[in-house]
Amino acid sequence: MSQPTLKSLLSKRSEIRTWLESWLDNTNAAIIVTDDQNNDLFGAATNGEQQAATVTLNDEIVGYVKGNNSTALVAGLLSIMLNKEVEKKKLGSEVLNIYQELNVIYNFSEKLTKTIDPDVIAQLTLEQAIHSIPSHSGVIVLWDQEHRQLMIPASSGEPLFNEERLRGNSELLLKIGLSGQSEIVSDVSILKEKAIIQNNVSSLVYAAMKVKHRIMGAIILAGKNTEQYSAAHLKLLVTLALQSSTAIESAMLYEKNLREVREREEAILRIHEVTKKFVPNEFIRSLGKESLTDVRLGDQVEKIVTVLFTDIRDFTNLSEKMTPEENFRFVSSFNARLGPIIRLNRGFINQYLGDSIMALFPEDPEDALNAAIAMQIAVQELNAQRQSEGLALIRAGIGMHTGPLIMGITGDEHRLDAATISDTVNTAARIESLTKYYRCSILLSGDTLQLIKNSNKYQFRNLGKVLLKGKNNLLSIVECMNGNPAEKLEKRITTIPRFAEAMNNYLDKRFENAIQLFQDIIDTDPDDHTAGIFMEKALKYLENGAPENWTGTEEMLNK
Amino acid sequence: MEQKILIVDDEAHIRMLIEQTLEELEDHGVEFLTAENGEIALEIIQEEKPDLVFLDVMMPKMNGMEVCRRVKKELGMHNVFIVLLTAKGQEMDRQKGQEVGADVYMTKPFDPEAILKKARQVLNLT
Repeated sequence: MSQPTLKSLLSKRSEIRTWLESWLDNTNAAIIVTDDQNNDLFGAATNGEQQAATVTLNDEIVGYVKGNNSTALVAGLLSIMLNKEVEKKKLGSEVLNIYQELNVIYNFSEKLTKTIDPDVIAQLTLEQAIHSIPSHSGVIVLWDQEHRQLMIPASSGEPLFNEERLRGNSELLLKIGLSGQSEIVSDVSILKEKAIIQNNVSSLVYAAMKVKHRIMGAIILAGKNTEQYSAAHLKLLVTLALQSSTAIESAMLYEKNLREVREREEAILRIHEVTKKFVPNEFIRSLGKESLTDVRLGDQVEKIVTVLFTDIRDFTNLSEKMTPEENFRFVSSFNARLGPIIRLNRGFINQYLGDSIMALFPEDPEDALNAAIAMQIAVQELNAQRQSEGLALIRAGIGMHTGPLIMGITGDEHRLDAATISDTVNTAARIESLTKYYRCSILLSGDTLQLIKNSNKYQFRNLGKVLLKGKNNLLSIVECMNGNPAEKLEKRITTIPRFAEAMNNYLDKRFENAIQLFQDIIDTDPDDHTAGIFMEKALKYLENGAPENWTGTEEMLNK
Repeated sequence: MEQKILIVDDEAHIRMLIEQTLEELEDHGVEFLTAENGEIALEIIQEEKPDLVFLDVMMPKMNGMEVCRRVKKELGMHNVFIVLLTAKGQEMDRQKGQEVGADVYMTKPFDPEAILKKARQVLNLT
């Protein structure tokens, strides 16, 4: 700190100069002030009787007042002012120190808010400490409770610390450095003996990092000069250490929380992956919900969909020959083949019912038809394999119907289930069971057929109308012949016109004609069991006569 | 010729702190002048032609912006380097600073190191 000078005291705009000038104006005094080198500082030389007085600062002469009057008074005044100025400067310097410290802490906390990485905070702390408390080197050591070892998340400056040794001597450090104390170490010899610090280190200061009463670690600074650290340095280091401790603690907690949240999210995701296999996402989405957890009891949506049922024909016979385990494996592998086909055609499986699958096609009825055809082809492929293994062949019936459907969540608050409640479902199920009766592979309702835009792509034949049990409306039943093996399909296509004619005769009660035509078809295509069934019926009506009000409608009284 | 720094702030402790911060420049013969409001500051600037002015913005009797505008725009004293000091959180947009001709902006609470560095740079002292 430089001393105030008489010159600066009497600077142009100083109060004392202004005051002296006006005093001189009002008296007859003529004085001159000079510094100790006799350089003029104020006033002008006078010719009158000379007096001289000295201006002193801390008992040292720093200038003279010469003149004809009151020189002692002015010199005394200047001395007092000068001493006051010293006091003021001293005070100012102290205030500045405090201000600077405050500024350091202020800037430091601002920096701390910008990061949540514990290592970055440690490095930031150390750099701030070395900058504010001039040091040649520094480290931050943290005690890792979990692994019972010392970590060094930050080091800076010259390599005055041996980090390996530092880690290896945790007990020593625990005694001197991590005891929760903060101090300027006067004797660094023990650290040198253990080769923890270099020999040229002369000063060491450390501050404990702690949260509440838990010691986390310490900031250690080293300097090569003797008595490099003052009490003010220690005080500032303690403040920085405390601030940093809290920040590091929060950052570590944050990291831990983040890790836990991530783990929990992963667990939830895994659960979600599993649940969506039970309840199809499409189902949930069609309810306007994002995930299963959003679904509430009573949520529902109504939509026109095509419902498709598949069933393994004669499954009971088939399964009797298998152990329960084989049975389960068989159904699983069968379902595993059909599932992807349904999804590929924009459908989703609503339910597995033993050997039966219920699938929904919300987009386009043609999707359901394409899926049915592809599934029948898959069954043929499966059969080729089974044949080579000497196993019984499988046949599957597929039926579908299009209509309004309510998808919703039923049950009670403890057990929810995704359910489809609709006549459409019952009707589709019954159409599927008709495949057994008519002995064909794919049946659809007239309602579905009407909605198939590219119907000329497929081969259909009309099987008349049925009245389903408990229903009033008649339902047209149409067979789709695609999905049969190629040679079989070819043969059947040739009989389509004859079959239509036979059906017309049959429905018009011209049973003799109908029988002839059906017989003709069977002669061409002996595998056409459907034609065989209609011929048998025609034969029965011809023999016993048809009822009075017979319309040709089949009343399906069994399910 | 002796270099001069004028410190303008209505708060005495800020004037003192800045002066104290720059104290070591006295060894280079730098003279310090202070003013507690804009009017006095303008007067001193015209008379003393300081090399560097630390000028607080918010002051009674002519604020720092106005002082700066008069010095730079009206008096055309381009050799006076003006550092405007604004309170943190009340930073004015740079455009307004440019309009009145300020050379540099600094915020209060000021960083002593930054102030000293700036002064040394402006006065060409190393």
